[in-house]
Amino acid sequence: MSQSTNQPKWTALLAKHETVLLAVILVEILLFQNLGRNFLAESNVSNIFRHSVEIGLLALVMTPVILTGGIDLSLGSMMGLCAVVFGLLVKQFDVSPWLAAVAAISLGAFGGMGNAFLITRMNLPPLIVTLGTFSLFRGLAEALTKGSEAYSGFPQGFLNLGNANVLGLPAQLWVFFFITLLVWVLVHRTVWGRSLQAIGFAPQGARYAGISVGRNTGMAYVLAGAIAGLAAVILVARLGEARANIGIGYELLAITAVVLGGTSIFGGSGSISGTLLGYVAIAILNNGLSRITAHQIFDQPVSSVARELSGMLTGLLLLLALAAGVLLKSLATRRARRQSLITTTNPTPST
Amino acid sequence: MKTIPRVLPLFLTCIAAVSMVGCKSQTSSGGGEKLTIGLLPKSKGNQYFVTCEKGARLAAADLGAELLFDGPTNTDPAKQNEIVENWISLGVDVIAAACENKDGISTALKKAQQAGIKVVTYDADAQPDARSFFVNQATEQGIGDQLMDTAAALTGGEGEFAIITATLTAANTNEWIKYIKERQAAKYPNMKLVEVKPCDDQKDKAQQETTNLLSAYPNLKAVIAVCSPGVPGAAEAVKQAGKAGQVKVLGLGLPSENKAYVKEGVTQAVVLWKVEDLGYLTVQVAAAVAQGKLQAGATEFDAGKLGKLEIQGDNVLLGKPFVFTKENIDQFDF
Amino acid sequence: MKKYSREWSVAAAFGLLMLSLLIVAPHFFHWQPLLSRVTSQMPAMVVALGVALVIISRQIDISIGAQFSMCAVIAGLVAASGLPLGVAILAAIACGALMGALNGLLVAYLGLPSIVVTLATMVTWQEALRLWQQGRLLNLPEGIQWFGQSQAQGQAIVIGATALLLILLSWLMKNIAAGRAIYAVGSDAEAARLAGINPQRTTFGVFVSMGVLAALAAVMNLVQSPQIQPSCGDGMELKAIAAAVVGGIAIRGGRGTLWGVLPGLLLLANVNPALTHFHQPPYWEKAIQGLVIILAVVADGWNQKKQSKNG
Repeated sequence: MSQSTNQPKWTALLAKHETVLLAVILVEILLFQNLGRNFLAESNVSNIFRHSVEIGLLALVMTPVILTGGIDLSLGSMMGLCAVVFGLLVKQFDVSPWLAAVAAISLGAFGGMGNAFLITRMNLPPLIVTLGTFSLFRGLAEALTKGSEAYSGFPQGFLNLGNANVLGLPAQLWVFFFITLLVWVLVHRTVWGRSLQAIGFAPQGARYAGISVGRNTGMAYVLAGAIAGLAAVILVARLGEARANIGIGYELLAITAVVLGGTSIFGGSGSISGTLLGYVAIAILNNGLSRITAHQIFDQPVSSVARELSGMLTGLLLLLALAAGVLLKSLATRRARRQSLITTTNPTPST
Repeated sequence: MKTIPRVLPLFLTCIAAVSMVGCKSQTSSGGGEKLTIGLLPKSKGNQYFVTCEKGARLAAADLGAELLFDGPTNTDPAKQNEIVENWISLGVDVIAAACENKDGISTALKKAQQAGIKVVTYDADAQPDARSFFVNQATEQGIGDQLMDTAAALTGGEGEFAIITATLTAANTNEWIKYIKERQAAKYPNMKLVEVKPCDDQKDKAQQETTNLLSAYPNLKAVIAVCSPGVPGAAEAVKQAGKAGQVKVLGLGLPSENKAYVKEGVTQAVVLWKVEDLGYLTVQVAAAVAQGKLQAGATEFDAGKLGKLEIQGDNVLLGKPFVFTKENIDQFDF
Repeated sequence: MKKYSREWSVAAAFGLLMLSLLIVAPHFFHWQPLLSRVTSQMPAMVVALGVALVIISRQIDISIGAQFSMCAVIAGLVAASGLPLGVAILAAIACGALMGALNGLLVAYLGLPSIVVTLATMVTWQEALRLWQQGRLLNLPEGIQWFGQSQAQGQAIVIGATALLLILLSWLMKNIAAGRAIYAVGSDAEAARLAGINPQRTTFGVFVSMGVLAALAAVMNLVQSPQIQPSCGDGMELKAIAAAVVGGIAIRGGRGTLWGVLPGLLLLANVNPALTHFHQPPYWEKAIQGLVIILAVVADGWNQKKQSKNG
């Protein structure tokens, strides 16, 4: 880290993960504007974010979890469970949707607490604990609905959260902005957030430094659970329907966004802004490919195979980002080594 | 680390810039002389809709229209809505949807109607006020009744039977199962539905589930599979159990995927319509609705190579489903 | 000192499940359905063995489901083109080894985290396969199912081959240097390096073996029916990882025996059949499987705490 200050400014900026991602996003926009149909129409720009806000929310709160060196595979299933309980409360027990939303978020936090307990108190590996709750939460959602019931017919006021515009932007985007700010402040501007990076970097060291490793790590999972509950409510508002298979596979998309954003999966380093850019890059790719109607690939119009293509490209992009990261790092260390060699052989007088 | 606060506003301006450029370029939309039709399958990645698409492309070529074909690749219930909403901003003229999830997708289809886009449905209907016509190859009730009647005819109207479905959460198959149950209660009191098992659209899982059903319910007389990978899966299980002919296998599926089992006498009946024709007809109807040639109240529709077809209310009828059996399955190549 | 007691407690839980099935639903144990049921779990067993190797070396591979599907389709296409089954099997193995080698290259030699690498390759292979095959069911020519033998012989071959793999691999893990190297690298890569083991080569080898095992598993699945579905490996990764973990393979690497995978897989795979035979509704399956996984790791955590207190 300290060596980078020795480098000229422009290379430092170039090597920054965020800059590379911004360039990727700009290339995507230019490409889809030229090849895609009505890609930059206002309604489509709304669509890009309206359709991906839930994944963006999960990615935001997945970041602190991964910063601690952990992972949460249960978030998509948690969305299913929260959605079902939300629907149940509103339709069976006549609870107001807003109160039920609070309940869903609390349930998410509670589920996150379950994960946190197993991971921090029992000292169990996050990957396996959340693999277990991944099955458990989805299973409970299916059991609650006997697998097949769905709840619909929510009041219009609530559905507006998922479908209406507020001040020219999709309503849920404002919620997303608020949560982004919240998570950003929590991760980058509080003692808690800084402790997470320390924990991810070296948990034993963090403990010696007087950080309550268990409690601080656990908080990340609770936050993740709560926001998964919120994401479930927003998705229900958009679809007008609550069912057990909501949020299937979203956790992997969120993890992809986080890692693409430059957060190390081993923990210790990463940023919310990187996650945001990673998420936007994926969201634009997903949407943009489905608007290329005039070009063909493998004898199929691109728009017909947009989902498969964007999946493939996301995978490749992820590999490229990782490989580029390693390459840049090794270049930097080589340069640093050379510089330190120079400095040790002819020491420069300090001014 | 210090650059982070600088990147965040950068990101926000990025969104703002994109939105602003967006407002300007919107005026360039819609200039198409060519009719654009969006065809939405319940899911991509199975032979049924691949065949449907084939017929649809044929019709689109006949009409000189542009056809967009896109659908979900997994069971995420949000995907169909997203595709419809994307098509709205893309500026298609008409959307033809096969609805996985009646209530969920109607929200999006109504949005399309508000945006001046015509909507028809095919294969599986939406809420009636979310579309103008339904291309009806068979209603949910028609499919349910047909399957139950066929099962009853094969088993002599008595004994236990089980159902293999796609997933427990799939709204469309649940409708079929509902009508199977109703038909059984009304007409076949001596038959009993013992279990509905999901196979996640996996042939191998359908096989495992059926193996379990066969040993858990030794008196089982028939297995009805309501998803197309389920039929060969169930057949393989019955064959491996050495119960071919004793336990009847039937369901909704494509002839090409079931030919071998039907000829061996493991699968007794496969119910389906001419899928390619369904795709063809859907595009014809969609185009006619978009051009104003087909309006509410019509009683007949000229569907190109399919000839004149009857319209009942707001349903364009493709004709009754076929029952493929040992005798006739060789005549079909899809 | 009592070391890895987990296999035994899982085996006991499995035994208990079987016992209650014997009392409530003796039909479960009729020879034919039992044989079909066991045979259909063998591909998952072979994949789980591979995953166990990967986890012991302190890595993870979530692309195995996609590898499985890809190998199955390659083998299916080769067989459908009229070439003999042997060629199809070789093609599948080559394909699996290549995909494994790619993962291994990225993880071992570029030092990238395996969970992210295999997440990326999983998505890439899965979507490429969807793009290519559009989910069509592929009809295989005659003489492929059961290797052209009778059903009983075919099932015997599949079960026998899996048993052979299990015995062979667990013997190799104990008795040859490469096998012990996997444990060494998994428990402490740096110490292993100092002891003269090449951790990079070991990790690379583990991923290639994983690919080959996924290919063998795909072939074992291929021969069980006259058709192959391109999505046949979907969800296989979670099933196999869960089986390995429940069977006592420590996710932090370096611990566990391949034998434990067997009761782990059998326990998880029989939740659903048991529900059917107890005549219970199927929608509890996932919740129960989740609980089994959590219980297994909690038991592990408890044991570790006890041991560290005693020690």
